[in-house]
Amino acid sequence: MEEETTKKAEMVKLISAEGFEFVIDKQAAMVSQTIRNMLTSPGGFSETQQGQVTFPEISTHILEKICQYFYWSLQFASGKETEFHIEPEITLDLMMAANYLHC
Amino acid sequence: MSAPKKRNFKIEAFKHRVEIDPKYAEKTWRILEHAIHEIYNHNASGLSFEELYRNAYNMVLHKYGEKLYSGLVATMTSHLKEISRSIEAAQGGLFLEELNRKWEEHNKALQMIRDILMYMDRTFVPINHKTPVHELGLNLWRDNIIYSSKIQMRLLDTLLELIQRERTGEVINRGLMRNITKMLMDLGSSVYQENFEKPFLDVSASFYSLESQEFIECCDCGEYLKKAERRLNEEIERVSHYLDKKSESKITLVVETEMIANHMQRLVHMENSGLVNMLVDDKYEDLSRMYNLFRRVPEGLSMIREVMTTHLRETGRQLVTDPDRLKDPVDFVQHLLDAKDKYDKIISTAFNNDKAFQNGLNSSFEYFINLNNRSPEFISLYVDDKLRKGLKGFSEEDVETVLDKVMMLFRYLQEKDVFEKYYKQHLAKRLLSGKTISDDAERSMIVKLKTECGYQFTSKLEGMFTDMKTSQDTMQGFYASQSFDTGDSPTLAVQVLTTGSWPTQPSPPCNLPAEILGVCERFRAFYLGTHTGRRLTWQTNMGTADLKATFGKGQKHELNVSTYQMCILMLFNSSDHLSYKEIIQATNIPAADLKRCLQSLACVKGKNVLRKEPMSKDIAEDDAFYFNDKFTSKFFKVKIGTVVAQKESEPEKQETRQRVEEDRKPQIEAAIVRIMKSRRVLDHNNIVAEVTKQLQARFLPNPVVIKKRIESLIEREFLERDKVDRKLYRYLA
Repeated sequence: MEEETTKKAEMVKLISAEGFEFVIDKQAAMVSQTIRNMLTSPGGFSETQQGQVTFPEISTHILEKICQYFYWSLQFASGKETEFHIEPEITLDLMMAANYLHC
Repeated sequence: MSAPKKRNFKIEAFKHRVEIDPKYAEKTWRILEHAIHEIYNHNASGLSFEELYRNAYNMVLHKYGEKLYSGLVATMTSHLKEISRSIEAAQGGLFLEELNRKWEEHNKALQMIRDILMYMDRTFVPINHKTPVHELGLNLWRDNIIYSSKIQMRLLDTLLELIQRERTGEVINRGLMRNITKMLMDLGSSVYQENFEKPFLDVSASFYSLESQEFIECCDCGEYLKKAERRLNEEIERVSHYLDKKSESKITLVVETEMIANHMQRLVHMENSGLVNMLVDDKYEDLSRMYNLFRRVPEGLSMIREVMTTHLRETGRQLVTDPDRLKDPVDFVQHLLDAKDKYDKIISTAFNNDKAFQNGLNSSFEYFINLNNRSPEFISLYVDDKLRKGLKGFSEEDVETVLDKVMMLFRYLQEKDVFEKYYKQHLAKRLLSGKTISDDAERSMIVKLKTECGYQFTSKLEGMFTDMKTSQDTMQGFYASQSFDTGDSPTLAVQVLTTGSWPTQPSPPCNLPAEILGVCERFRAFYLGTHTGRRLTWQTNMGTADLKATFGKGQKHELNVSTYQMCILMLFNSSDHLSYKEIIQATNIPAADLKRCLQSLACVKGKNVLRKEPMSKDIAEDDAFYFNDKFTSKFFKVKIGTVVAQKESEPEKQETRQRVEEDRKPQIEAAIVRIMKSRRVLDHNNIVAEVTKQLQARFLPNPVVIKKRIESLIEREFLERDKVDRKLYRYLA
């Protein structure tokens, strides 16, 4: 039981505009400076309390790509240098989202 | 052909889904303003970060950054004005606590606001050269709270009053103090300095100025220093607890100036408890405290040092010129050594082994030891005393320590050659009379002198040791070569001394008794037989003899006497009474020595083997001497000393001095020639300076003597005066 709660505390839920939920490691999510602030800012915003963030302006396939990027970035930072492939057709949307998420 | 038309690339803004509603900006701002209110009212828990962030993001993206920024300034300012009023309303002691609480709240709110407005901070602020949100929050706090007319003075007064209370011994809330000073530092170092540090230093200065005045009136020096040290430590502790680290040097400077620098003179010279008293009474703790406090202020240490050396020089001068002290050379030197030990200990325990202090100590000793021109003699006598008997039962290390200490005094001597003269005399006496107790100690002393002054200084001293050793071997050879029975004739022990190595004054040999003369001649024959081409002369003014004598009632004694005394006593083998004139005729002993010998034979109680008529203390030319039949002594062996002055008498002293002066002449001349040989041309003053420099390891040459030597060298055509400039000398090769 207890293990589950601590595990839960280390996971966060990111919800896309279409309501699709991505459950990822908190550590990975915090690659984004914006999400980091959302989860750590003092004063108890609802995101901090619930451990989930809704992005009404980011569509599912972009958010998915971003989640992949989070994990890729962690690996990259720890020395595993691989390519991160981006399909050209989502480039613009992805850039917008990256600007928003500051990552 | 015209140039190809320039095409302007234009990146169009990403078409966002949010349609531009004319009231869009106003509406969005309302949401954010509301959120800021909620944050300040601690109601933020329901708000969605994402929503607020997105709104701020969109406002900036749609070029409403300016509106967002100015709105933030206005909203925060109004909140701070309200906070300011609630702080102003806080009563008495609650004021600081209220200020602290509000500050913490503001900080927290500020962080939340910064987080939701992060996008603005990241893009809008740097492009438009605005103050970032966090800094803006601090500045607004500073301007609306700290610089508020009703808070600014009150805050300062409260802080200073708390510190004042702590100085008088009360316990204050240091945690709160730390938070408040930290707040001032967070607002910028100038805020801390202007609104707290400067007035704090001013108030401290007047506080300590007053307090030090009070202390100095009622405390003695040691007590005052203790108080000053405590105050200093308190201030340092205060800084570590709740002030900026950079304040430490400033506040300690205030304490140092007010409590130490301003009263230095008075403290050092304080009657009955000042520096001199501390030195006299070996107050290591007080001295150490004084050293550590004074080193903090400019000129502090040099002042201690000056007073110490002046005191040392004065007491030293008294010591070496006190006529009472001059009576006992050993005691005299012991006093010097004790003084040195005392100050060495003070410097090592209280003055941190400070080099400058050691130098001061050395120069003082050098100054006063050389005030008394008998110091070299006395130091040599001290060594003599130690090597004769003083070191009996001492371990090897102890001997070394004593000798090292003596060497230390030796280093202070300017006239090292005089010391050498005396040392040679004393060493000769020790060796010839077999009085030296430890050969190792003697040699160790020689080695020390050698390392200090070089081979030249000790070569003769070492020659003396060699002679002693050779003589021993020679005597063994002599007796081995004598085939006849030596049972009846006197036993002879000869020490062959190399002329020049020993401080012997040639004196005409006295007439030896026939019994002795025979053995002497045999030895002479033996010695010259093995060493051809040498000349032997007898130094009858030295040496000792053991005589077996039988007195009136048949009691036998062995008399240990000098050679001269032996010659006198042998005369009484053939006659019971002799006049002074008969004795001097028969023995041919120089009158002064004869008188001394007779004095010790006839006038010393318990050793009077002769009787004198008339009975008196001194020997006159027409006295008569009788063999004293009634002589008795508890001891079988009776040692009859000559009345020898341990210390030199005035004429002897003059004589030694004269010999020293004579010996210096060739050394000065040699130095002049050495210098001129390399310089070729030099003026008078420079020669004197260089000669002094070359010779100062041995003695301090007198300029007048140097001038005389130069003149003598000119006479002997080693040098000449320059024909144009009469002050110049030229070397003639």
